[in-house]
Amino acid sequence: MKRLKFSNIIIYLFLSVFALLYVVPFLWMISVSFKTNAEVFTNPFKLPQVFQWNNYYVAWNSGKLGVATLNSIIVCLITLLASMFIGSMAAFAIARMRWKLARPAMTYFLIGMMIPVHCVLIPLFIQFSKLNLTNHLLGLILPYITFSLPMTIFIMTNFFRGMSSELFEAACIDGCSIYRCFFHIALPLARTGLFVTGLMTFVNNWNELLMAMVFISDVQKKTLPVTLTYFVGPYATNYVQMFAAIVIAIAPSILIYCCFSNQIVDGLTQGAIKG
Amino acid sequence: MDKIFRNKLAIILFITPALLLFTAILLIPICQSFYYSLCDWNALTSPKFVAFDNFKRLFLKDKIMRTALKNSLFFMFFSAITQQILGLILAGILTNLKRGRNLFKNIYYLPAVLSSAALGLLWSFLFNPKMGINQILSYFGVEGPLWLMDTKGFIILPMWVIAFVALWQYTGTTMMLYMAQISGISKSLYEASYIDGASKFKSFFTITLPLIKPMVATTLSLNCIGSLKFFDLVYNMTQGGPNHRTDVLATHLYNEGFQYFKYGYANAIGVVLLLMCLIVTVVINRSIKVKNYEM
Repeated sequence: MKRLKFSNIIIYLFLSVFALLYVVPFLWMISVSFKTNAEVFTNPFKLPQVFQWNNYYVAWNSGKLGVATLNSIIVCLITLLASMFIGSMAAFAIARMRWKLARPAMTYFLIGMMIPVHCVLIPLFIQFSKLNLTNHLLGLILPYITFSLPMTIFIMTNFFRGMSSELFEAACIDGCSIYRCFFHIALPLARTGLFVTGLMTFVNNWNELLMAMVFISDVQKKTLPVTLTYFVGPYATNYVQMFAAIVIAIAPSILIYCCFSNQIVDGLTQGAIKG
Repeated sequence: MDKIFRNKLAIILFITPALLLFTAILLIPICQSFYYSLCDWNALTSPKFVAFDNFKRLFLKDKIMRTALKNSLFFMFFSAITQQILGLILAGILTNLKRGRNLFKNIYYLPAVLSSAALGLLWSFLFNPKMGINQILSYFGVEGPLWLMDTKGFIILPMWVIAFVALWQYTGTTMMLYMAQISGISKSLYEASYIDGASKFKSFFTITLPLIKPMVATTLSLNCIGSLKFFDLVYNMTQGGPNHRTDVLATHLYNEGFQYFKYGYANAIGVVLLLMCLIVTVVINRSIKVKNYEM
């Protein structure tokens, strides 16, 4: 019994030290974001003497974070809804309906998971500039939806397959059409799946940098991760503002994570195991 | 019943939007990408077919490509090894933990949902020569190295630093996937082994490890492909500098394509990247043969 307790202490000690490695950078970041630039050099580890709320104000304005946040929200919301809708329709057809090409269709979508964005970057850029889709949020939304589809279809097919077929049979006998089967039975039952895919889509696209950098050059259309890269170059000496900007940029994700972390974890588990 | 689920019109309606998007945004561009990679093409001229010239230049003459390839492969092996081991250890410990499991799990997974661009900035500050970690070291009278600018050695220091940050950010993902798999293993297997006198340690090696084999293939390919595609962290921590020494395939592609507008050449890099991803996936899935155990 005594030995067991000792090993427990070692384990918790290890886990806590490891956890500090995760928590300390964030705490430090928040404390720096409230300091003056001089303070960063003179007392880097103490709490700021006077909280410089002004840093946030300046970062928000000079980094044009307002418009960037709005763009990110628009892009992410539309991508989220569209990919969930389109993806679950396709997943339903693959998982539940009977047709010869269901299997090849699934393979086709799954191959998409392995394809790096980089490979299609230039051809897409050329196409989009011909269609006037560069510097347009739609030019981001379309590829974002497409790249979110494989994962959505993958997870949603698992959910649809897991439903008992008696349910659908009963509905059909009562005269339910295939569309009602999908919208009124399958979709509501697959709530968890929709939630998971939605969160994953949100996280991926909220953070996407490369495509957003390439397709958008108009300051009014940039998304959050792209505006952050401004702070690398010319603003690089103004650390406090950079940190305020980082805090602003990741705050929404942290908030969402805090609210839904257990669901995210459960969802991942379900998606992973069923695959 | 059967008739309803064979409704051709419905199938077409359901599948078409996804199929259209996929074909227009993935399939056609990929085919174009293969073609463009065989062309000499900058933004001003029209594409001119030059067969494999781009690839020849890429592999025989381009010094940055050599560094980028080396760096990308370094990231791949480093993250594959360290993330697998660390993720598995954490998953093993956490699934056996009685208290605080969710707390630790959530803490370790947090960075994986945050923007790499933002975290890259944060860490570039912490590894700044005059700030962050070097300020701590100077308290102990140690002069810290130029973390992100040192250029000595075969794998230069900045690469290790970025690889460490990537490890910090993504270990949680690997851990989570392993935890998912471990929690799916039936408890009775463990109980039987405890009755037979096996320790927790031993049952981990004899029961858990063999049963999570399918997940090893999944996480390993996710790891490898993820690190081959690496862009955000490198871009925001070093921008490929000093002197292109920390360039990876993705940043090299970005520079050639969108700084110098060499579309054909950049596409050739994209094709190399795609082939590498495919090879890695095939190799991993072939070498880790998955047997189906009763779970």
